[in-house]
Amino acid sequence: MNRHAKAFAFAAVLSAAATAAGAQELTVGVRGGPESMDPHYSALGPQADAVKHIFDPLVWTGDDLQLEPGLAVSWKPVDDDTWEFKLREGVKFHDGSDFTAEDVKFSIERIPQVTGPTTTEIYVRRVADVEIVDDYTLNIHTNGPAATLPYDFVRLFIVSADAAKDYSTAETSAEGFNSGKAAIGTGPFKYVSWEPKGDLVLERFDDYWRGPAPWARVVRKEISDDASRLAALKAGDVDVINYVSSADYLALDNDPDIETFIGDSVYVMNLQLDQREDTPKVRAKDGSKLAENPLRDARVREAIDLAIDRETMVEIVLEGLGTPANQMMPEGFFGSSEDIPAPVYDPEKAKALLAEAGYPDGFEIDLYCTNDRLPGDGAICEALGQMFSQVGIATNVNAISKTVYFPTQARKEYSVFMNGWGTLTGEASYTLGSLAHSPDDEVKMGAFNRIEYHNEEVDRLLEEGAQELDADMRRALFEEAMEKTMADRAYISIVVLQSVWAGDKDKVVVTPRADEETLAYFIKPAK
Amino acid sequence: MSSFLLQRILQGIVIMAVMSVIVFAGVYAIGNPMEVLIPPEATQDVRLRTIARFGLDKSLVEQYFLFISNLFQGDLGQSYIYNEPVLRLIGNRLPATLELVLTAVLGATFIGVPLGIYAGYKPESATARIIMAVSILGFSVPTFWVGLILILTFAVSLGWLPSGGRGDTVEVFGIDWSIFTLDGWSHLILPATNLALFKLAIMIRLARAGTREVMLSDAVKFARAAGLSEATILSRHVLKLISIPIVTVFGLELASTLAFAVVTETIFSWPGVGKLIIDSIKNLDRPVMVAYLILTAGLFVTINLCVDIGYAVLDPRLRRGRAE
Repeated sequence: MNRHAKAFAFAAVLSAAATAAGAQELTVGVRGGPESMDPHYSALGPQADAVKHIFDPLVWTGDDLQLEPGLAVSWKPVDDDTWEFKLREGVKFHDGSDFTAEDVKFSIERIPQVTGPTTTEIYVRRVADVEIVDDYTLNIHTNGPAATLPYDFVRLFIVSADAAKDYSTAETSAEGFNSGKAAIGTGPFKYVSWEPKGDLVLERFDDYWRGPAPWARVVRKEISDDASRLAALKAGDVDVINYVSSADYLALDNDPDIETFIGDSVYVMNLQLDQREDTPKVRAKDGSKLAENPLRDARVREAIDLAIDRETMVEIVLEGLGTPANQMMPEGFFGSSEDIPAPVYDPEKAKALLAEAGYPDGFEIDLYCTNDRLPGDGAICEALGQMFSQVGIATNVNAISKTVYFPTQARKEYSVFMNGWGTLTGEASYTLGSLAHSPDDEVKMGAFNRIEYHNEEVDRLLEEGAQELDADMRRALFEEAMEKTMADRAYISIVVLQSVWAGDKDKVVVTPRADEETLAYFIKPAK
Repeated sequence: MSSFLLQRILQGIVIMAVMSVIVFAGVYAIGNPMEVLIPPEATQDVRLRTIARFGLDKSLVEQYFLFISNLFQGDLGQSYIYNEPVLRLIGNRLPATLELVLTAVLGATFIGVPLGIYAGYKPESATARIIMAVSILGFSVPTFWVGLILILTFAVSLGWLPSGGRGDTVEVFGIDWSIFTLDGWSHLILPATNLALFKLAIMIRLARAGTREVMLSDAVKFARAAGLSEATILSRHVLKLISIPIVTVFGLELASTLAFAVVTETIFSWPGVGKLIIDSIKNLDRPVMVAYLILTAGLFVTINLCVDIGYAVLDPRLRRGRAE
């Protein structure tokens, strides 16, 4: 009984304390939480979002994903395979020690030892060697010219070499970081507690180099169900939520207490058309095999593009939360082209083109998409099926879980398929290098080109771009590669998705970020 | 009794062994988790290195025997997603599920059985009709919908109870429990009610059907002739006679709710094992899936064993029959 009495008293004290601190405390309801407090364990989006509160990346990215000085204040290539990084002086870790070049070297070299299957090695894959020049200068030597190295470092989190040195093997890292012993960063918040799928509790770090955060205490609650997350906001249990669904977003417009914040995301929905001579999921309408793969015919690909009514897709299917896409990246990203024509919807011309290509009665395809990865992916898939059927391409729609979709896609068992692609680095080599270059282990490109798309011009432009250290020249090369890829229409971009946050109108103002991170430091108290 | 027990335990072991093969092969057939987990920019050598590090380059048979040999050393593997031992991951979340499910199932039984007996005892009364109508609602309305309505009513509109999550916990026997704090109960009530509704309906219907049948039996006639009060007849004789099916269903419901309270846990963001398993399926976190399903099989086997022992305790005929 004594124990109960104590527990009750404790609960009462806690709730009293919570009320007093209410104005300075921010509670965020997020769809997905981190996987580990070790920032080098996973490269997943929710992981980076969470650990960015505690650790700073070497290079910062702004709301629109363009590079900004962070822990590194400047960087420049000094020769073909060396980059020089100048570090910020006067930055403190949470334990009071100084941030120096040693911590950066340690963080880079630690990654291969501790990373999990969603490997963070991708951030340091080009690094051959790290040379410390002085406490605030580093020379990073790369395997061959690495023009996009600073982009790789936007999620390279810096841990304290001192605090983490005993927790840098696969066996010890989770224990050291999840317990807080090694979770010492330079970020705006200090780590208090977390357990897998539980609340992440953070406390303001007063010596943060950008100045102290507006919130003394931040709690990030993982609420994966969309309806429950919204209910928690409406009930006042959380102050901000991310990923408001399109249906809820419409209803929230009428709620006087809640403000919504909409931003363009990095995700573009791309339809992908198999370019192999023999493709498994395309056939004549009577079920017989076609003489050749119609998707290899440029007229058929154009017909498919013309059959897509992107305006309807945005207005009806996505409830307005998107913009029609004409290329694989949102506008303004490094390498997206302004010269690509706006997409056209012309079903009559599509039918004519199909007839011209020798398919006056059309043919039959199986369309595969994810239905649980990004907002609206399943609905877009169904709408595509209807639009294709209207021009005579009988379409069997299969909107399935990403768990089944991606492994099957990797085995190349699909012919026509759609999924979102996020240009997380904000520049084209990430996207075009993975999708548009022909699969080639030698140059390490084309890993996600699952349609065997091959255009020698595009390959050449991308390879040159990857080596071109001059930013303007590189931009021009990527823009041309993007134009050529989109003109071939083996990849047909459909919509750029938008992302919605909602918050308590009297308490918070959220500035949307293109990478969809919900960073407490940048959530401002409402005036 | 002991030979019966031994036989049951042996059966259980065989079931577990078969389950492990089915689960392992089934999970393997979904596909290589690395296709979902390894990020797109990974170069081919990074991919191969990662796949090899997690032993996924080995054949199915090799992977299975590796898993089994680790299992016998008490190691169920490391979660791909959380980099923590699977046992610790599941163990940390089990108390949350346990208290939610026990509250729900026990609540449903202790409320449902008396209501059901009453409805069976006086089937024509207005109260009995109301009870039966409520029980129909209980199992015909989907759980997720009831859950959302509960949140909307009690958390959003009235603001009496929190919308989700688990409340403050206190440590008892080295484990964190929330049923010993007021805040804990305020978080527990809605999900437990949500989870209990369906079971309540089953308990009512079972108890009612049993009572109606038993009330017509000679045993009850003799008891009445002997001058026992109706209350004594109901509580001492009828309750005992209808308890076998109730215990059976109690055991099954307890096991299945422990293993699959997924919907309720998701809606109320309850940090239990149900949410863990669903997310690990979404992410193809193979070690967690396999370990969880095998532990679940073990749970069913154990609870069924307990139910069998319960029969013997409740029914002297069974006890004697086995003992001789």
